[in-house]
Amino acid sequence: MATMSEKPGKLLGPTLSRRQFVKAGGALVVGFSLIGPDVLNGDSPKPATLKNSLDPTLPSSWIEIHPDNTVLIRTGKSDFGQGTTFTAYRQIVADELSVPFEAITTVVAGDTDLTPDGSGAFDFLGHGTPNIRKAAAYTYQALLDLASEKLGVPKDKLSVKDGIVSGGGKSISYGDLVKNQQLKLTIPVKGELTSIFGLTIEGDPPMKPVRDYTVIGKSFKNSIISSKVAARETWATDVRLPGMLHARVVHPKTLGSTLVSAGVLDKTKFPNSQLIVKGNLVAAVAPTEWEAIQAADQVASGTKWTEWKGLPGNAKLYQHLREEADWTSAPVEKSKDSKGNVEPVLASANKKLSATYQLSYMKHAPIGPTMAVADVKPDGTVHIYTHNQNLQALRGEIAMMLRTTPDHVIVHSYPGPGHYGRSNGGNAGAEDEAVLLSQAVGKPVRVQWMRADDMQWSTQSAAAFSDVHLAIDEKGKMAAYQVDHYMPAMQDDRPIGAVLAGLPTMPAPEVHSDGVTSTVNSMEDPWVYAPVPNLLERGHGTFQVGQKASPIAVGLRDHSMRTPGQFQQNYPRELAISEAAALAGADAIQFRIDHASEERAIGVLKAVRDASGWDTRSSPRAEAVSTGSTPVRGRGVSLMLRSGTYWACVCQIAVTTSTGAIVVEKYTIAVDPGIVVNPVQLKRSVEGGAVMGIGHALFEEVMFDESGITTDDWASYPIPTMSDIPEIKVVLLNNPKVGAYGGGSEAANALAAPAIAAALYDATGKIMRRLPMKPAYVQAVLKT
Amino acid sequence: MVTLNVNGIRHEVQAPDDTPLLYVLRNDLQLIGPQFGCGLAQCGACAVLVDGKEARSCVTPVASVANQEITTLEGLPARWAKQKGLSTPEAKSTLHPVQQAWIEEQTPQCGFCQNGMMIKATELLESNPHPTLAQIKEAFTTSGPSPNLCRCGTYLAIIEAVQHAATIMAKGR
Repeated sequence: MATMSEKPGKLLGPTLSRRQFVKAGGALVVGFSLIGPDVLNGDSPKPATLKNSLDPTLPSSWIEIHPDNTVLIRTGKSDFGQGTTFTAYRQIVADELSVPFEAITTVVAGDTDLTPDGSGAFDFLGHGTPNIRKAAAYTYQALLDLASEKLGVPKDKLSVKDGIVSGGGKSISYGDLVKNQQLKLTIPVKGELTSIFGLTIEGDPPMKPVRDYTVIGKSFKNSIISSKVAARETWATDVRLPGMLHARVVHPKTLGSTLVSAGVLDKTKFPNSQLIVKGNLVAAVAPTEWEAIQAADQVASGTKWTEWKGLPGNAKLYQHLREEADWTSAPVEKSKDSKGNVEPVLASANKKLSATYQLSYMKHAPIGPTMAVADVKPDGTVHIYTHNQNLQALRGEIAMMLRTTPDHVIVHSYPGPGHYGRSNGGNAGAEDEAVLLSQAVGKPVRVQWMRADDMQWSTQSAAAFSDVHLAIDEKGKMAAYQVDHYMPAMQDDRPIGAVLAGLPTMPAPEVHSDGVTSTVNSMEDPWVYAPVPNLLERGHGTFQVGQKASPIAVGLRDHSMRTPGQFQQNYPRELAISEAAALAGADAIQFRIDHASEERAIGVLKAVRDASGWDTRSSPRAEAVSTGSTPVRGRGVSLMLRSGTYWACVCQIAVTTSTGAIVVEKYTIAVDPGIVVNPVQLKRSVEGGAVMGIGHALFEEVMFDESGITTDDWASYPIPTMSDIPEIKVVLLNNPKVGAYGGGSEAANALAAPAIAAALYDATGKIMRRLPMKPAYVQAVLKT
Repeated sequence: MVTLNVNGIRHEVQAPDDTPLLYVLRNDLQLIGPQFGCGLAQCGACAVLVDGKEARSCVTPVASVANQEITTLEGLPARWAKQKGLSTPEAKSTLHPVQQAWIEEQTPQCGFCQNGMMIKATELLESNPHPTLAQIKEAFTTSGPSPNLCRCGTYLAIIEAVQHAATIMAKGR
């Protein structure tokens, strides 16, 4: 048998060009003297950070300029397929530094030892000023200072093109400028490295004016795509360490079971396997992957767990949430846009709507189940090799679990299957289990979850319901809008292996938990219909379903998923607005335009109207029917503002009323992110999100009984296939006068659901206020 | 002992006969193209070509494909070079047209499923050099043991890449 040792380090060494480069590049450290505010005050800089191998207050921790005029950038954000670190970040830095895109030859991302800032793989563009842009802006100023000194030309007489500084008839390249320099520049930084948001660069360095951009706006290719397509990239799944063992975890029988007795490992069949039991964490560890799988199956069959029935089950979910969940302990959140007095208007209106909207639990459902390799060294140092959105936060969680300090934990990131927010608070599922098993066996251990583990033991996007009341006045305008959003805590960042093993973790979501892990339901969907005179938006939060009843405090653990919280609030709002338009006898797009005040919101609505071939009229269409076997057609619209980007979509559908099956035939989406950094990458990202949105709207529903999740594979949890995709049209509205670039990876997945539901109403005259719109559920609505 | 013929190279493998081919490819032969997605033949992430036909290596016992011609993502360039009779230096610098198209169309998002997508595209284009949109959708949805699934939703980019690859292949390089 070929063994790992035949090619030692093959998968960790030569193929890792990014990491290799660090070693070479790190020899040259560029430093500049720029006095930070702390230094001005006579203090030494005191960033609120724990010790990291890279000092975030030094610009060279973020950006290195090399004598050969190449540039290296570092970011704590891991790529999850958005490609931002390899495209937009390089473009942004190139423009701030006035160097060509190609000069930025190296992107170091993720690893806790190799990047300065922490935070997660979300909000990459930071509303136009991501850390990397500020780092570049500071560096640019320092380079100008240096050039001014060297050339003897005042700074304001210098200009830079393609990395050459010119002025007073003289010029010098960045590479020549930085040679043999030992100057210092201190960048002001704040934040907690291992918190979900990591460190933020402070201050206001001068930024390059938008009119001078030459690199931003062009469709540079994503370099990591080439290496993945050619099978030359090392994925997290490919990491093999000398002496590494494979493990499979036997997860408890229910979401509230405790271990009675672990099965006995049959040593005659699996002579090289070990059974590891730590509290309620049970696993089989073996030299080969196949033996680990079989040994775990054999152990599982003999393992006894306590029974538990603490969940309401699917059928009673909304009844449970409405009648039994505790909505009183968490303070009610009120949106900042709330104004006027809705009550008298709602009471006296002739045309009004009162309705409830329901949205199911959904899975992140990465195409590959979570996995990690951990290596706990004899001295207690821990190395983790994984695909994770927030390595510094994971580092903090692992340190807490092991009762050690984060500087003993080093997390290395690699590409892997996207999981759409699941690990933005630090763990994807398998990392902590790998650490505990490596600690137990004294060797590196690779934990790979199977498909069922990933479906049943990972977190999910929280279910929610919303009560809407709205009133239309005699002029057909919305006079009052009231919404109460109800959603269980949406972010549980406890590592599950630590929970099962009974080791220290952050607390389960409580009212007073920190930030995103609280039970408080914050308002996430910015109101975009300012002219409505009376508005009341409230968020009500509670504990996760089953959390309090589970002896292991587990239950249905939730986690933010692409467009988190905002999806749960935007779906009811946008469907209700379409209903309001119908109530007013108005066209759904024109009604929105008439109630919007922001030019960019109106802009995306007009763009999507033109691009989709929308015929202006009210819904339902005159020919709407809810019976018969001939497909009937309809269209709907939705609107969202997220992370500085305006989105509108139109879905045109066909529904077979006899079966309830909905087919999306055409999907048009208009996006105004302000400045479009990279049109092709943004378009691809939007297309993908749009397709995921069809799944959210039509298929995706986590099914569960009283004990746990029953959807455990792709058959029971279907996602869109190629045959489900419609004609897709993406309209990018480049809007440089905004002066900033908004996010483009989220929102697209949330737009389809309210648009498809409105289209169903348009086609049939029947309104369905529940997701997903599975055929059986649609059929039931059509029969009413 | 099982004899495998992978990407034109013979390997003697000592894995038990019932070991899924995927684990042998990844762990014993260090081929990283095929990925573990479900272990149930429900997604296609682990796909390889066995005698030119897409197979799901996660449920294929290694002994069942002994001595058959197995091609992984790593083997696509050589497969193309052989089909076109390219010279050795030329072959070394040439990706399979499917891979070229995947890069030119910037198809992957996370890319974890794209191994299977490229394998499926190769199978399709070898038997049908000019597939219609309906035939492409049929290939990726109903032709295999399950639809080839992409959670990032790159299906449109895949369709465009298949069409682009067909053009490259028609040109012969």
